[in-house]
Amino acid sequence: MNETTVGLVILGVVMLVAFAMLIGLVMLKAINRRRALRRRERHSRYVALISRRIAAKDTPEPIDSSTVVDDSFLDAVIDIRNVITGRQIDTLAGIIDGVGLARRQEQRLRSRFPLGRRLRAAVSLAEIGDESTAPVLITHLADREPEIRIQCARGLGRIQYEPAIEAILDRFGLEQPWVRARFADTLVRFGGKATWPLVAFVRANLRHDHNEGVIEAIRVLGVIGDREVGPSLAGILRVATDPEVRIAAIESLGIVGGPLAIRPLKYTFRSTDWRLRAKSATSLGHIGDPSINAVLARGLQDSNWWVRRNTASALAALPGGDELLLHAIGSDDPFARDAAAEALADCGVLAAARERDDAGQATDNDRLLLDYVGAGLQVLS
Amino acid sequence: MGDIKRVLVADDSDTVTTVLATALELEGYEVDKVDNGLAAYEMGITGNYDLIILDHLMPGLLGLEILERWGKEGHNHTTIVLSGVDDDRIAVDSLEAGAVDFVRKPFRMPELLARIRSRLPD
Repeated sequence: MNETTVGLVILGVVMLVAFAMLIGLVMLKAINRRRALRRRERHSRYVALISRRIAAKDTPEPIDSSTVVDDSFLDAVIDIRNVITGRQIDTLAGIIDGVGLARRQEQRLRSRFPLGRRLRAAVSLAEIGDESTAPVLITHLADREPEIRIQCARGLGRIQYEPAIEAILDRFGLEQPWVRARFADTLVRFGGKATWPLVAFVRANLRHDHNEGVIEAIRVLGVIGDREVGPSLAGILRVATDPEVRIAAIESLGIVGGPLAIRPLKYTFRSTDWRLRAKSATSLGHIGDPSINAVLARGLQDSNWWVRRNTASALAALPGGDELLLHAIGSDDPFARDAAAEALADCGVLAAARERDDAGQATDNDRLLLDYVGAGLQVLS
Repeated sequence: MGDIKRVLVADDSDTVTTVLATALELEGYEVDKVDNGLAAYEMGITGNYDLIILDHLMPGLLGLEILERWGKEGHNHTTIVLSGVDDDRIAVDSLEAGAVDFVRKPFRMPELLARIRSRLPD
């Protein structure tokens, strides 16, 4: 055999293998397409079957318990659960219970299946589980796979299973930041029920540094927004030394609001740390009580730009605050004048002054503001 | 007894159309289903329906766009808009564009059926 013949044989073999692979790929795609089509057909059939079962007023159509092994049935149950609400959810729960769907997913979650199948089981339980499923979900909050831990926490949040709050908080300080953030979302779903366990968690875990879990817990308290937590947040603010913890407490106090939140915020507004003063200004603005206008106005003369900016923004949102900002425009302090002018522009006072000026109805304050802005901001320009 | 009432259910989710169609058929209505905005728009014109249930977010045309087109062309259908988007503006715009009702997803089936019945007198 000469070299040309050998080359031709090799080329032929390569082409044959490539052709066989191409045929295999095409067949595989066709098989997958057919599978997907059959899955969609079964899904539609199951949706119709469950819908008839839900809507039937007389004898309900039986559902064969063998359907429980079909993932299309599981998908149909989850899809319907996301479409309807009210008493029909109880009927759906009865169907899930009757065919043992949740039990099967629990077994899958406990098994040594690959991650994909166990994760699917966790996601399914997060969607269809009820209180009887909660113990399994709590156990798997310590699963080796973070995604499964997240899904279990999500499911517990959906079920609103109260004992799970402590279990989630037990994991809170141990988790990586991204898992902890998802756990925090879950705790928000518990609403007011999570408030006092969160406060207890913060008190028990507050340290001089490395307070990541504590900071997240304080932020969750703010998002939940239970006004009764104000004094507890004020207490945390008083004893905490980590500035990040104090900033989180200031932020949450601003969200929960109420008269009891004002005093600690007025105190931190005088802090030597500009970050605390800046955040306090924003939080005092959020509370929206015009009685603190005079206290806030002092922040316009602060040595730090962020404090002046946040103070001016807070005043712009408060009743009577624009009067104080206009007063600052006429002051001797160029920093206060700039901060006030920017806030008045942002909140629309400047635009209104321009409109009145164009209509020949400008007030003295309008002219003061327009002249100042017309001359250019003094410090920043 | 009156004629059988005809209802069009337009939603890109097969689950929603099947759940609604099943419940409506058990109530004695004749139901057609479509899964996109353009088909919904065309069937609304040609299908002679007594009531149309229209999803807002559909491929092809949005529910609101369909209502506005029908309005401009003089087709006055009894339409209930169904939406998973919790946006008051969409609700207000839909009602101003001619919808008789706006229902958010997930919905309570008995309530939705009652709303449909109230719009379809014998």
